[in-house]
Amino acid sequence: MGKPWWHILFLSGIAIIITLIVFLLFYPVPPPPVSEMKYALETLALARENEADKYSNELYREACVFYDSAMTNWKSENERFIYKRNYDKVVAFAELSSKMALQASETSLNNSTNLKINLQENLKELESLIKKINNSFHAYPLTYEVRNNISIGKMLARESRVAFNERNYLLAEEGIVKSKSLLTSSYDYANAHLRSYFKLYPQWKMWIDSTIAISHENHDYSIIIDKFSHMFFVYLDGEIISEFIAELGENWIGDKKRRGDKATPEGMYKIVKKIEDDSTGYYKALLLDYPNAEDTVNFRREIEKGSLSSKARIGEKIEIHGEGGRGADWTSGCIALRNREIDSVYMFVSIGTPVTIVGSMYNLRQALNR
Amino acid sequence: MKNKILMGLTAIAMVAILASCGKKPQVEIDATNAAIEAAKAAEANVYLPDEFAAVQDSMNAIMADIETQEGKLFKKFGDVKEKLASTSALANELASKVAGKKEEVKAEAETLLNDIKTVLAENSKLVPKLPRGKEGAAVIEQIKADLSNVDAAVAEAQTAYDNGAFMDALNKIKAAKAKADGLNTEIKEALTKARIRF
Repeated sequence: MGKPWWHILFLSGIAIIITLIVFLLFYPVPPPPVSEMKYALETLALARENEADKYSNELYREACVFYDSAMTNWKSENERFIYKRNYDKVVAFAELSSKMALQASETSLNNSTNLKINLQENLKELESLIKKINNSFHAYPLTYEVRNNISIGKMLARESRVAFNERNYLLAEEGIVKSKSLLTSSYDYANAHLRSYFKLYPQWKMWIDSTIAISHENHDYSIIIDKFSHMFFVYLDGEIISEFIAELGENWIGDKKRRGDKATPEGMYKIVKKIEDDSTGYYKALLLDYPNAEDTVNFRREIEKGSLSSKARIGEKIEIHGEGGRGADWTSGCIALRNREIDSVYMFVSIGTPVTIVGSMYNLRQALNR
Repeated sequence: MKNKILMGLTAIAMVAILASCGKKPQVEIDATNAAIEAAKAAEANVYLPDEFAAVQDSMNAIMADIETQEGKLFKKFGDVKEKLASTSALANELASKVAGKKEEVKAEAETLLNDIKTVLAENSKLVPKLPRGKEGAAVIEQIKADLSNVDAAVAEAQTAYDNGAFMDALNKIKAAKAKADGLNTEIKEALTKARIRF
């Protein structure tokens, strides 16, 4: 007699369930990407340790994004039925992340080393530029803006040096770039200004040679004033016998153009009057024949050209006088000496003594190297 | 026969129980994330950046562990829970350490600020003594420009300090101090060169 049909059906059901369980237990489940993710995390940590977030930011960020994508994919795969999971994408993202992180690490090390070398060179260049500016333009009448730019440039260079010493290369780089731009433009401006001024040197040289020759030929005194070095030379028989520091007009660079421009004129003049005590407010004074014929012609030409207003008036009463020694270019265009110096000059000179005022007695290179 | 059936059913039930007994420790995860956020809000990332990064690394590793367990048929979150608890404790400790570090930075910034003010006062006293030689006005003008820029840098640092951004203030103060010291050296060199006592 056979078993009842329901008995067979029940046993078959049990057998199917057991088979299913065994199948589920032993069917290969896709392995989770544990080692790939762990490696990705380690490489990211290494990259950060090597400051990739600073010196290879783009690659580092990409590595982070790939890691995040791997995590997101891993999570969404884990939400699927266990046998339907596929970690290929996760592995791919994790591998990309590791690759990027390693690249970021390497690039960061290279970048920071190269940056350090470059910054070191740039700082040296910057400091040498500052030295050059200090030597050439320390006393040069620059505009407030240029002087302020030089000041800020110098400050930024110092700030960059501090940042560099603290291994904060990015901050140092930022400071160097700003400082370089300010200092270079200031130096270029001042240098161009100075070069353009020294274009007149051949003329100054002629005046100097002529003044010295007159002193030599007449066995008499002549005076030459070098505005760039602020020196006042007394010649006798073509030789320097005395030299003093001269203080000039506030805007001493360039020739005097008009009354009130506070510039000291340039040209060959003569003493036309000796003034003492009450007649001058500056102890003693030697009045020059400024404006001479050439100055008058130049002034009229400037008016005609329109570079001077038609209302402008030519300057006058340019003197060599006392009350100097203030340490500043403070006159309205005159040349100031200390009282004891004007005393001695006053003794030497007479009406008609040549006084030549030049931008410089030396060419630009010599003047800057003195 | 009945017993066999019962055994089979028990086995199925056990498999089902084991497969579902490990639940993702969401509460602990949220608590740890909150502790990390609290440390960040306390500016641990600014004042203790290395320690903060280490805590973040731990959290990332834990999240990877969680996904590893989530991928298994039989999940076990015991280890993960322990790690979460210790990371949470670390984050809390970090948040409390920040205050101390902040005080340290604040004190350093304050000392440096006072030092700068002393240097600035000395600079202001020295400027009128500067040599009044042929260089005169231009040099003094340059130094005055430098002084005003140092003043501006100090004011900027002071503002950062007053706003409680002590780390930012400290960095700015260090730079301003370097500027003030540099200027002081420059002035003193000029005075020494001119044999003027100061």
